[in-house]
Order: sequence, then structure tokens, then C-alpha cells
Amino acid sequence: MSTSRHTILEKLNPADVFTLAMDEEIRRDGLAGNFGCFALELDGLPDIATLTVRIDEFRRRFPVTQASLRRIGRHFYWCKPDAEPAPPLFHHRCPGHRDEAEFRQETITRLMNQKLARERVTPVEFHLLTGSRQTTFFIRWLHPCCDARGVDLILKYLGTNQAEERLKFGLPADSSLVRQQLDKYRWWQKIALFWKGKGYVEQLDKQESIQPFAANQPAQRLNYRIQRLSEAQTARVAELAGQRVGLTGTSLYYLGCLMRALEKMRPNSAGEAYCAPYAFNLRRQRALAPMTGNHISALFAQVPRAIVNDRQALFAHLKQQYAQVIRRRLDYAFLPLMWAGSWLSLERYGKTLRLSYGSGKERSSFWFSDIGRLDLPEHGLAGADISAVFQVCQVTAPPGFAFLSCIYRNRLTLSYNFVEPLGTPEHIERLQSLMLAELLEGAE
Amino acid sequence: MNKKLRDFIFRELVFVAEPERFSDDDDLLQAGLDSMGIMRLVMFIEQEFGVTLPDAEIEPDNVRCVNTLAQWISRHQSE
Repeated sequence: MSTSRHTILEKLNPADVFTLAMDEEIRRDGLAGNFGCFALELDGLPDIATLTVRIDEFRRRFPVTQASLRRIGRHFYWCKPDAEPAPPLFHHRCPGHRDEAEFRQETITRLMNQKLARERVTPVEFHLLTGSRQTTFFIRWLHPCCDARGVDLILKYLGTNQAEERLKFGLPADSSLVRQQLDKYRWWQKIALFWKGKGYVEQLDKQESIQPFAANQPAQRLNYRIQRLSEAQTARVAELAGQRVGLTGTSLYYLGCLMRALEKMRPNSAGEAYCAPYAFNLRRQRALAPMTGNHISALFAQVPRAIVNDRQALFAHLKQQYAQVIRRRLDYAFLPLMWAGSWLSLERYGKTLRLSYGSGKERSSFWFSDIGRLDLPEHGLAGADISAVFQVCQVTAPPGFAFLSCIYRNRLTLSYNFVEPLGTPEHIERLQSLMLAELLEGAE
Repeated sequence: MNKKLRDFIFRELVFVAEPERFSDDDDLLQAGLDSMGIMRLVMFIEQEFGVTLPDAEIEPDNVRCVNTLAQWISRHQSE
């Protein structure tokens, strides 16, 4: 499709618009936008020629990853960019005199804080950081283009050596799983779901959410810290999670532990309850499609402060709340809200669906994402073994804090993303130590 | 019963390239069935087979494969 000025590649689906509203809000907070990053620590230099050819092939197959995001009329679209495409791979070399770990932290932080007009952002960008001892490959993406599960699939694509296997990755006929799910309902069922979803978030908003940091200074930039547990610690955490929350998953265990760690860090902070959004994906597990677009909806875990202090009651509460949320079909209730929101301006979207945009209130105590166990190709990436993985993401301020987790090669990796100066490295060091004790039930 | 379970699992919850080669004893948790999927599966079973499955019984032994799911349902159907 073509308009007078722009060639449209794809319209944003309702879940894309949901993450775009977050991008707008992050930008209004003075930060760069809704960027996410997936970093692979490699044990050596990959074959750069092979990697470049594969990225190029990927970009040709999925042109939306190089598109320009534009508003046309009431809606947003991925359009063919006016400018020349960005290079397939940006290569950053660590100067000989620099500390390589510092160089990596600095480069990733700089790119995650890079302020660009929205239509100038390349939705998916590939970077390689090299030094004499450390090599890191990372993907930076803009959230309206991809979600973390989609980027996990991009990594799988790049790590797949056989061309015929890569052809199995693709887009379904209707690239919006949100629309597919909504199409299953009749109009009156959609209206009923809409009101159920609205009632759900209004109920959550009756309790003032506790914030992780005192928000008395304007946001300046995102920073992050990574905490990687040993294999033995990870196995112990999984065992304890199984005992506390059973098959409802380790995500709830991490959530509960983080709420307790935050409470111990700031026991006198204002607020009545911890509230954490967690996005879930509409993709079937292990599906190789679709690769781009957001296919998520949101749920919330909310725990009153008194319960957070009682470990046993906390996990029982989280487990019961999770089961009830799905039994009451609240998991799909957010979809009509997202659909309706996609017709609103981004500002109005924020005011309607969140407590944001200058209201001084924030529903989320922190952002949370657990991507679970990653199964990246065993043979690594373009000839280099992948020794470790971590993620980074931008977040609105407040809450100014996002917690991400994944397991790779039997090691749990926790990523603490914080907006300075609201949060500081000292806050996070203290939080990491409290979190480890909570995860291991004080065993260390 | 097994066919209805399989159809729902592979259509809605887990992608398997060749579902016909996935046996009723193969491990669903290994295949990628996650906590959200398990809860959705429980909801589907309750609606489709008219049973109530207590949350306390949502355990690996009951949801490991299609055959254990069918046995779990049968126990509640005969109550």
C-alpha cells in the first residue's frame, strides 16, 4: 500500500500500539524510548562475514525490522524508510587501554539511552563489541517492532546454519495474534470482556502502589546491573520455586522474592501494595512465527504490604491470584482494551489505561519480564560459542525500575534496570544482595 | 478424549512441527507447555468434559502427557 508520501509495510497491531504508548511515555519522561536489548557473551570472535550475510538475509525477509515508524491519520504504520538502511552490523572495538567490562557497560548504556526521533530509529539493530578478551553480540530493538520472545526467535534464526531450516521461520497470514484472538468472540462478548478488563484495572488502582525509589528528581538516563547465579544456586532456586508456587511457575517466585527484597530495601516507603505487570505472549510455545510484532497482553500481580512480610502467605496469595485471574478469563480481558486504545491518541491511551501522564500516580511498582529458559543453538553464533546471555530494557519513571530474568545453560541471570538519579548503583547493589537472600531463602 | 486434548494443545498452546509424531506419552512440559498454558488447559478440560479440577491437583504427575491428563480427568468424571 502506498500513500502520497510513504510506502506502508504494515499497520501496528493493538499490542504494538500498547508498547508504543509506553514508548511515548518513556520519551515524555525525558528518556530515549521503549528500547530493549538482548546481549550474548561470546567465547571468541564470530565469523563476521557469515554473521553479516545472515543479518542481511534476515532483514530482507523481514523488512519491517528496518522500517520507519510513522503516524498516518489516526494510526501508526511501519513504512519504507526514506534514508539508506543502517549497516547490517555495527562493530565497536574496545581501545587497548580500556577496561573491557567497563567498555561494554558504557557502550550498551549509551545505545540504550540514544535519543532519536521515533521515525529515525532503526527498529532492530545489530551490534558487535570486541576486545582482546571479551566479545559481545547484541540486538537493540524498539518495542513496537518486537517483543522479547520475538527477539529470542531472531537469535535462533541467526544461529541456524542450514538455509532450509531458516526458511521455516516466517509470518502467518494474519500477523496479529491479538486480532485473531479477538475474532473468536462475538461483539457482545468483546464488550463484556472490555468492561471486565476495565473493572480489573480499576480494582487494582484502588490500592496505591509502592514505588521502588523516591521520585523527587527528574529522570536522566537508564543504567543496569547484571546478577548471574551459579548452576547450584539456580537449581536450588528452581527447587524452592517448585515448593512455594508449584507448576504455576518460577516467574511468581521471582516476583514474590523481588517484592520482599524491595520491601526490605525501603520499609518506610509510601503506598499500600506492590503491583507488577507481567506481559504474557499469545504465541504458541516454541512457534517459529511470527518473528516481528508484539503478541502480548498484560496481567498484574498485586500484593498488599502486610502479606509481603509473610513469606508463606505471599506465595499462597500470588499462586491463588494467578489461578483466579485465568479462571476469570482476565488474561484475555485486556485485549479489547488494547484494541480500543489503538484508536486513541497516545496521550489519551496513557490517561485511559494507565495512571500516567502527569497524574503523579503509577500502577506498577516495577516492570517485570521472565523469559524463562533460553534454548539458543548449541553450536553458537557464526562459529562462536555463546557463554552467557543478558537483557536490558528501558522503563518509564516512575517506577524507574525494571527487572528481567532468563536462564541460559542452567544459570539464572537477573537484570536490574534503573533510571538515574532516582535509582543508583548503590541501591541496586543492596537490592541484589537482598534478592539473592530471598531467592535462596536466606541460605547464603 | 485424547484427540480433543491433543487438538487443543497443538492448536492453542504448543507448536510442534509434526504433531502426529508426538505420542500420548511424550512429555508436554518438555515440549514447552508453560504455567499459563497449563491453566488454560485446565479451563478447557473443565468446560469440555464437565469436571472440576482442583488447583491443588495441578501437579507434574497429572499434566505430564496426554495420557496422564486423560487419567486425571477420568478420576474426576467417575466421582
